[in-house]
Amino acid sequence: MSAKITSYETAEIRGPKLAFNLTPENCGRMLMRSKRLLVVVGGDALKMKVADGVDVPEVAARLARSLGGTIVASPGVFKAFQSVSDVKLINMGLEDAVNRLKDESWKGFDGMGAYDMAVFIGGLYYFQSMMLSTLKHFAPNQKTISLDRFYHPNATFSLENLTPDKWKAGLDAMLQLLEAKK
Amino acid sequence: MATKISIKELDSQFAKIRGLDLVIGKVVEAGEEWSEPVGPTPYPDITALRGWDQRILARYPPFYSPLSDFCEFCTYGKCDLTAGKQGACGIDMEAHQGKWSLLTCVMGAACHATHAHHIVEYLIKKYGEDHPIDVGSEVDVEAPLIRLIAGIKPKKLGDLKEVLTYLDNQVTQLTSATATGQEQSPIDYESKALHAGMLDNLALEVADIAQVSALGLPKGNSDTPRVEIGMGAIDKSKPVILCVGHNVAPGSEVINYLEDKGTYGSVEVAGICCTAHDLTRYSKNAKIVGPISRQLMFVRSGIADILIIDQECVRADVVDEARSVGTRVIATSDQVCAGLPDLTNKTPDEIVKALLTDTPAVLVRNPAKVGEVAARAAIEAAPQRKSEKGLKDEQVLANTSRCTLCRECTENCPINLDIGYAVNAAKKSNLEPLQKIFQECIGCGRCDEACPQSIPVLSTINAASTAKIKEEKFTIRVGRGPIRDTEIRNVGRPIVMGEIPGVIAFVGCSNYPGGNEDLAKMADEFAKRRYIVVTSGCAASDLARYRDENGQTLYEKYPGDFDAGCIVNTGSCVSNAHPIGAVIKIASIFAKRNLRGNFEEISDYILNRIGAVAIAWGSQHQKAMAIATGANRLGVPVILGPQGVKHRRAYLGRSEDNEKWMVLNARDGKKVYGGPAPEHLLYVAETIEETMVMAARLVMRPNDTPKGRMIKLSNYINLHKQLYGTMPDDVQRFVRAETDIPVTMKDDVIPVLKERGWKPIEIPDPTLLDRMVLRRE
Repeated sequence: MSAKITSYETAEIRGPKLAFNLTPENCGRMLMRSKRLLVVVGGDALKMKVADGVDVPEVAARLARSLGGTIVASPGVFKAFQSVSDVKLINMGLEDAVNRLKDESWKGFDGMGAYDMAVFIGGLYYFQSMMLSTLKHFAPNQKTISLDRFYHPNATFSLENLTPDKWKAGLDAMLQLLEAKK
Repeated sequence: MATKISIKELDSQFAKIRGLDLVIGKVVEAGEEWSEPVGPTPYPDITALRGWDQRILARYPPFYSPLSDFCEFCTYGKCDLTAGKQGACGIDMEAHQGKWSLLTCVMGAACHATHAHHIVEYLIKKYGEDHPIDVGSEVDVEAPLIRLIAGIKPKKLGDLKEVLTYLDNQVTQLTSATATGQEQSPIDYESKALHAGMLDNLALEVADIAQVSALGLPKGNSDTPRVEIGMGAIDKSKPVILCVGHNVAPGSEVINYLEDKGTYGSVEVAGICCTAHDLTRYSKNAKIVGPISRQLMFVRSGIADILIIDQECVRADVVDEARSVGTRVIATSDQVCAGLPDLTNKTPDEIVKALLTDTPAVLVRNPAKVGEVAARAAIEAAPQRKSEKGLKDEQVLANTSRCTLCRECTENCPINLDIGYAVNAAKKSNLEPLQKIFQECIGCGRCDEACPQSIPVLSTINAASTAKIKEEKFTIRVGRGPIRDTEIRNVGRPIVMGEIPGVIAFVGCSNYPGGNEDLAKMADEFAKRRYIVVTSGCAASDLARYRDENGQTLYEKYPGDFDAGCIVNTGSCVSNAHPIGAVIKIASIFAKRNLRGNFEEISDYILNRIGAVAIAWGSQHQKAMAIATGANRLGVPVILGPQGVKHRRAYLGRSEDNEKWMVLNARDGKKVYGGPAPEHLLYVAETIEETMVMAARLVMRPNDTPKGRMIKLSNYINLHKQLYGTMPDDVQRFVRAETDIPVTMKDDVIPVLKERGWKPIEIPDPTLLDRMVLRRE
């Protein structure tokens, strides 16, 4: 863990409860404990391939596949998942998805019960920050991990701010860990 | 108008009276009575519509995204409200967010109410209280919001004063509810926020019908003139007067003065933001520089000789920015005094002299005086303009040599543009990335503040884009104001029956996640699909700043009627009253529902029958949230672009919760399933794809006829397939009977319905109001 945690957007200064800052490998270890995983893919996911060289839909699919999770993809990026057939896929806006996640009585997209971990990746920074804020305040038992390149203080766990190369390599290492475990 | 009767002494066979003073608030002239019966809620107080609010909030509960973990409103604080904690006063995060929601809407409503006050007072002073309200020969329902909410039918400017008094009273009461120790329930906060939104909408109408009536702005004609818009449209060879804000009074007086002196053609009068729209409605020779996103950019160019600021959306640094490039400033509103010396009581000669010598920024709270002063000072100042003033482009770009690629600018950009990369590319003589940033930049200048090397980043973006700025020259169809009753008669039935798939209004500010092109592409798509597209304010300006693949702007491509496949520019922010008024008029003119003080019934009608949706893709200001919330109370759903998430609150439905979608069937009083239509009242979307599909979904209403639902479903399914590549997951929720299925899609849809266990349902005569049930079985 790093000694100093900084948010990505300069003014995104939060309160006493901040995300634990994890390395990608530690995120992988944390994720291994999940029995009911939801991967939430945001609307900026496709741009990240161009800007940072990370194929977020591919990362999300590998992650969900390795842990038997469900993917909920923001409608703007859903088309990119068309070739993914071996993972449960939901097409839903982030606000709609988070509105369900924050409901403790919600039984998940498959009706089998609540998700014990929600992974966020590929969102517009400020939008994702607000969705994580909703969950932090109104669903304090819902654990969240942000796997985006930038630190998200409102998540339960978050990667630190990383360079594109370190992000790409870190995600790869995390996925290899999870896939090896599988 | 108050009338006072004094009787010093009266001694008659009927009575003896001494020293009687009788004051009558308003005299109703014989024969002026309005025969429409008064509904249950004329001039509703802050709890009169609480029952309606609770109904809609039960279906669409508030969804909060706190922007901060603290409450900082009183000296007990800061209080940490994280994850269920209560503050020292007992408030929790949910109620605190409700308070923010109310505060935001009250700020917006107060802005528009003040604006309405200013313009009405100015017009009464100029034209008299008896000047008639006349918004066009084909507009009999001249003030649908005033009729609906206030329960009066205004005939002259003076009649609007009592509406303003009501607005003052209600805004004060709502503001009071936000104080510590007052309101405490999130739902009651939201009920009050909805009330504030309704007041906001009412104020919009007061302001706009007053100025349409008295200033001769267009009265609903579809084919208004086209005027120039764009930073490149301004003729720098002339003296340039720039008006920024929302109140047209000072700018119109500039035009009056110039016309009186016969010098209008030799002076450029232009505006930014909504004042610009209203200037072009006043005179087709005025120009629009652009939306609010162009304010700082254009002021920094130093092209303006005189900057007139009035009220709302005026940058807090604009006086300093203008002064730094030698532009003289006249503040004109008691809402924005800007720390300037008040020269209102000086003569025009004295003010002009002061402006040109030792006091280059002044406050003058008299529109007529501003008109004369601005015109004379601009003509005198223009020859000394330093506009090629300031640094040359190359000098500005040379600043990029100091860039260390720390990316502080990127991390401070509200829309996450990678400015750091672009500035660093410019350092290596590659200007292309900066030019791309220029297209998407919202012009806030936060990057300037962030740069540790003091690079003037926004100016650098401009300097790299000089050629693009020169090319930024388009035309816009002038705001037409009201929707004519004749148009409502033509489209009322097809809208209510669903045969016109819906009314989509593109409104709000220019705080877009990726430039104005996204907005224009959405408007183009819906106009092509024969929705009625309406626009206003900065969104209307931004639609003009886009050309399609054939080089046409949307205003050239589509007619300006309120009809299928058209794009209607109603005008400025306050002209948002007209699309909102249009849905009310459909209930009145087409469905013959009484409007007078009858808010609940009309809102119930709109929510269940009229497929109207607003898209505020670049919502930024509190006013945008207030307008949206007012539309929500009337039953009109609104979609915000991603920046709208920072308004902190949405109103979301849950499509799978069947109990929430039960309606009363007015035919027999039975509670029946009406479907999730509309699914949300206020929704924030991340992408344009999500927005377009959501809009096509939100126009569906329980009352749609089979033919209408078929048309709406056809668009929804088609857009879903086009943008997401699949059949909608929820199509079974919107098919009520097989006759709803689009004929050409039956082969695709029927197997899906079978797979999902779909069963047909009755199409109800839907209402949420028990009193609207016609007959009970």
